Amino acid sequence: MFAYLVRRVIGAVILLFIVTAVTFSIFFLVPKLGGATADDLASRYVGKSAGVEQIHNTAVKLGFTDPLYKQYGRFVKGLVVGADYDYGAGIERCPAPCFGYSFLTQQPVWPDLVSRIPVTASLAGGAAFIWLITGVGTGVISALRRGSVLDRSLMSVALAGVSLPIFFTGLLSLSIFSYGLGWTQQGGVNPLDETNPFWWAYDLLLPWVTLAFLYAAAYARLTRAGMLETLNEDYVRTARAKGLTERTVVIKHGLRSALTPILTIFGLDLGLLMGGAILTETTFSLPGIGQYAIIALRANDLPKVLGVTLVAAFFIVLANLVVDLLYAVVDPRVRIS
Amino acid sequence: MRWNRITTATAVSAAVALSLVACGGPKASSGGSGGGADATKAAYDAASGKIFNPSDKKGGTLRMAITEKWDSTDPGDTYYGLSWNLARNYVRPLMVFKSAPGAEGGKVVPDLAEAAGVPTDDAKTWTYKIRKGVKFEDGTEVTSKDVKYAVARSLDKNTLTQGPTYFNDFLLDVPKNYSVFKDPSMSQIAKAIETPDPNTIVFHLNKSFAGFDYFAQLPSTAPVPQAKDTGTKYQLHPISTGPYKFESNDPNKGFTLVRNDQYDPSTDPESGRKALPDKITVAYNVNGADIDNRLQAGDLDVDIAGTGVLAETQAKILANPDLKAHADNVLSTRLNFTVFNTQVKPLDNLDCRKAVLYAADHEGYQRAYGGPVGGDIATNLMPPSVAGAQKFDDYGFEQDKNGNVDKAKQSLEACGMPKGFSMNIAYRADRPKEKAVAESLQQSLSRVGIKLTPKPYPTGDYTKLYAGKPDYAKANGLGMIVYSWGADWPDGFGFLSQIVDSRVIRPAGGNTNLGVRIPEVDQLVDKALSTTDETARNQVWVDVDKKVMEQAAVLPGIWAKGLLYRPDTLANVFSNDGQNMYDYAGIGLAQK
Amino acid sequence: MSTPLEVEPGASAAQPEAILKGAGKIEGRSLWQISWMRLKRDKIAIAGGAFVVVLILVAVFAPLICKLIGVTPNDFHQPLVDPSLQTPIGKLGGVSWDHPFGIEPVNGRDIFARIVYGARISLLIAFLATLLSVVIGVVMGIVAGYFGGLVDTLISRLMDIFLAFPLLLFALALVGAVPEQLLGLKGDALRVSLIVFIIGFFSWPYIGRIIRGQTLSLREREFVDAARSLGARRPYILFTELLPNLIAPILVYATLLIPTNVLFEAGLSYLGVGVRPPTASWGDMLSTAANWYQVDPMYLVPPGLAIFVTVLAFNLFGDGLRDALDPRSR
Repeated sequence: MFAYLVRRVIGAVILLFIVTAVTFSIFFLVPKLGGATADDLASRYVGKSAGVEQIHNTAVKLGFTDPLYKQYGRFVKGLVVGADYDYGAGIERCPAPCFGYSFLTQQPVWPDLVSRIPVTASLAGGAAFIWLITGVGTGVISALRRGSVLDRSLMSVALAGVSLPIFFTGLLSLSIFSYGLGWTQQGGVNPLDETNPFWWAYDLLLPWVTLAFLYAAAYARLTRAGMLETLNEDYVRTARAKGLTERTVVIKHGLRSALTPILTIFGLDLGLLMGGAILTETTFSLPGIGQYAIIALRANDLPKVLGVTLVAAFFIVLANLVVDLLYAVVDPRVRIS
Repeated sequence: MRWNRITTATAVSAAVALSLVACGGPKASSGGSGGGADATKAAYDAASGKIFNPSDKKGGTLRMAITEKWDSTDPGDTYYGLSWNLARNYVRPLMVFKSAPGAEGGKVVPDLAEAAGVPTDDAKTWTYKIRKGVKFEDGTEVTSKDVKYAVARSLDKNTLTQGPTYFNDFLLDVPKNYSVFKDPSMSQIAKAIETPDPNTIVFHLNKSFAGFDYFAQLPSTAPVPQAKDTGTKYQLHPISTGPYKFESNDPNKGFTLVRNDQYDPSTDPESGRKALPDKITVAYNVNGADIDNRLQAGDLDVDIAGTGVLAETQAKILANPDLKAHADNVLSTRLNFTVFNTQVKPLDNLDCRKAVLYAADHEGYQRAYGGPVGGDIATNLMPPSVAGAQKFDDYGFEQDKNGNVDKAKQSLEACGMPKGFSMNIAYRADRPKEKAVAESLQQSLSRVGIKLTPKPYPTGDYTKLYAGKPDYAKANGLGMIVYSWGADWPDGFGFLSQIVDSRVIRPAGGNTNLGVRIPEVDQLVDKALSTTDETARNQVWVDVDKKVMEQAAVLPGIWAKGLLYRPDTLANVFSNDGQNMYDYAGIGLAQK
Repeated sequence: MSTPLEVEPGASAAQPEAILKGAGKIEGRSLWQISWMRLKRDKIAIAGGAFVVVLILVAVFAPLICKLIGVTPNDFHQPLVDPSLQTPIGKLGGVSWDHPFGIEPVNGRDIFARIVYGARISLLIAFLATLLSVVIGVVMGIVAGYFGGLVDTLISRLMDIFLAFPLLLFALALVGAVPEQLLGLKGDALRVSLIVFIIGFFSWPYIGRIIRGQTLSLREREFVDAARSLGARRPYILFTELLPNLIAPILVYATLLIPTNVLFEAGLSYLGVGVRPPTASWGDMLSTAANWYQVDPMYLVPPGLAIFVTVLAFNLFGDGLRDALDPRSR
């Protein structure tokens, strides 16, 4: 078991390195393909009246003139050991993990990035809770009442749900509930500024419901299909034949095995969402990691982009790891293969 | 809406009259009893060039927000006009734009200095006397050495990369790559700046410059104590000499200013600073639509950018009389125009360029910026609010608001392209108004066979890598470039020199002159710099303007105006020609 | 996606009456015939499929359709827009006989024409991206599943790597980094290729995993063993035994991948990295509409509904296809 754990963790770390290496390459190699030089890149980060000399000096200071592997090496070293930063009048120590300094603001990336995680976590966590319960619940009900009017209506709504983009439903709900009815405040509040948890939830309610609706629809369909599959299995027939109540059959036997793939997918979805619900945060103006990513990308601020990518990939990989570990605990065959 | 390069502009003399006229048509009362300027009742344009709800009451927290990040709170490293506007609250440069409504606010008055600079040696040497008794927030007294240090550190463009380079360009014998951190005794710039005694400072220039007082109002002349300078970290807590000091500052989130108890108003008789709010908070990276919504809801007091609400908010405001009564249509010293890159054929031919000027739909250009509320159709370059500017209309833009197809066709014949030609037009991708301009020109020019292909580019790199990089622009056939320019300050030099002087064009990119290359213009610019008589100097700038138009080097679009929203929470709010937005050194909060 | 597809080769349906009456040979029905019959009976899926066909036709014949109605996608109609409000004059965002879906604010462009042309972009990108994903995914899946061992491990690790990328972030970063001209392409062609590449290239593991799973289970089936014992070489087995049995799941998952890609492309356009103006795209229209909904709420409706209806149609058809090919999911 331990060996398995170690293997998976090492694999996860390697994965993270690969992701950051690719980000690095995109940032530096792709413009090079289009003929941009180190100075061209540096000119983005200087003031509007900078001369050639100054641009070149900035290129050197930010390390653009070094070969790619050296720059990447510096980044990795910063992550592992920390780095020193010369701010003109002195040297500052940036402790590990050091995500570097923003090219634009010359301030460390890590603190700002980390301060945004709670917002995304609130959004993802709350929505996840809602969609898991409503989605699975709906799926179970549908499966039980297979073929009925209720089943058909629920599945129609679910089908509509998976066919809608979040930014459309988000905009509609904003225009109806926020602007039209005035139920929620317009203008991008930071829910974590609220001291009262009730208001925290209230601020997040609209994004939660809108986001959860889409996922719940998908999970309802998944659960229903999974339930129907297991309800056809032999052992369920046996359970029924044994005389157990339908309820016990469904919940104890049917749901339990149908739930495993669902929980797998749930873990992965949650990991993906934590990596920045970019579309949702943009639509609802929530100051989380997703919005941070957009700001960083628009400004071509590589250290910030690297930071965000690393955090996003980290959550995805973490989710994968947790799910795999749970499987390993449950199913011994996995550990050996 | 992101407006990176909002720069200040001021106007002298006729500006107030002009701005009132330009605001023109809309009625100034909120529908009710006419006549009588009731300065406390909300009305359209109530704060344009005059004080709305005058007040001396102190108190309250002024909540401000901006759609992006600040360029820098370090007074030696900032170039945004909005930043210069607000910085007067925490620093005192040698001179400053007066905090007063309308044209008065376009005057540069002594702040840290006792009086305006004294030029000698053919305006190559400038001397200022520094007031006694001005203190830093830690209680130490300001001396001339602190001012010298402030200017010296701002010369280090490798550490402080964002600020203007006027001192680098004009001070005498500044070594290349000068850094005050490597030269703490400032011996290498001894020839450029002298401090004969603790209250006198002398600047030596490498050429005559009659308008040095405008340099002296740059925040870079605000004193900085050398012992407390922390390089790129100084922006986190600049040492204040103004009525406010920093309580907190996060370059990613925003900052808060609180009262500076070491500020002595008796040492500050001329600037007009009021310091009414007890606290000022600034939030960064707030979405533009959110800013507009919060202003209307009363959750925010000021949109710092000061360029106006978004187009959709404008629609809402103008359609609703109550909202409209809270709006001010403020004139700015900004020209929205399209430059011709003469390195791209056939725009190297004067008649082909004239054809574009004749065929363009000027009303369409205006519509792209929001109709008459967005600005007035520009017939030449210098906006009316620039000192000494004259308006002239050589191509008949005002009569032929939608262009003159016949004249355009004639010009096309003259340049040998009777069927028209194809051309690329560049614009900044995230500016919907510029996109609308490109598309409007595409439409109107197609009437005479000129086919335009709009090419959007990212705003951040627009002047550095694309439209503003001569090699790139030439290689990619960017013959027309949509741009917008606001002067650093409203005189001919501040407005024109950076956009029409061909010698400022850098091959490396980052240009603001995107294609004007006229030798006679360059000569006229030199003449203006050395003309010490103000009236004569202003006339030379008018000649520059005329020459540029004669050569059809640009297509002027509109002289911009912004529609600002003024929540009921504000008091003592006014715009002036120095800031072209609400004056942040005078603004206050309505007290119950 | 939902449960793995179990494919039953060669089940035949008996016809009792025919046997009793002794009416000639008993015809076995192939999988395809059965599936087709089942599909035909599913009215809703047929409706979805029909709508998909309509959409494709609309996209292909966009210029013709616009000409018939008399609208163009890029022409301005500024007289129809209020000069200082910049909103369309008239009710419902400028709906009229000339402009059935209304006009855009600021420039007055016809919305119907832009929706129709937007269909081209959405469908083109979605189809091409799906094709790319399917081709890569199927090849990788089969190779991993059939050869097993080191090859399988390598490919599975590769899939893990691809799945670890925060896709939307990468799309944004890549589109931002790509210069004006690359590999001889520029303008719309470059943009479309780039988006197709990003979506297609990073989504192949989803299909890859499924096909790998299918291959793994098929590999152990008797008919493969039989072929092998007859001395058949591997490529032969791959193509004649495995592939035909994989076509069903490939088809189903490809059909279900298309709507996902439509949504992805719309999302990219919404964030501003789709095709460049003036080329119309649904996501881009929604992103502009997001700014105007307070004064011109009708502008939200056509692009949003267009995306919804397209994705729904593909989902309906895909669901129906899957149900037809898998007897147990009813």
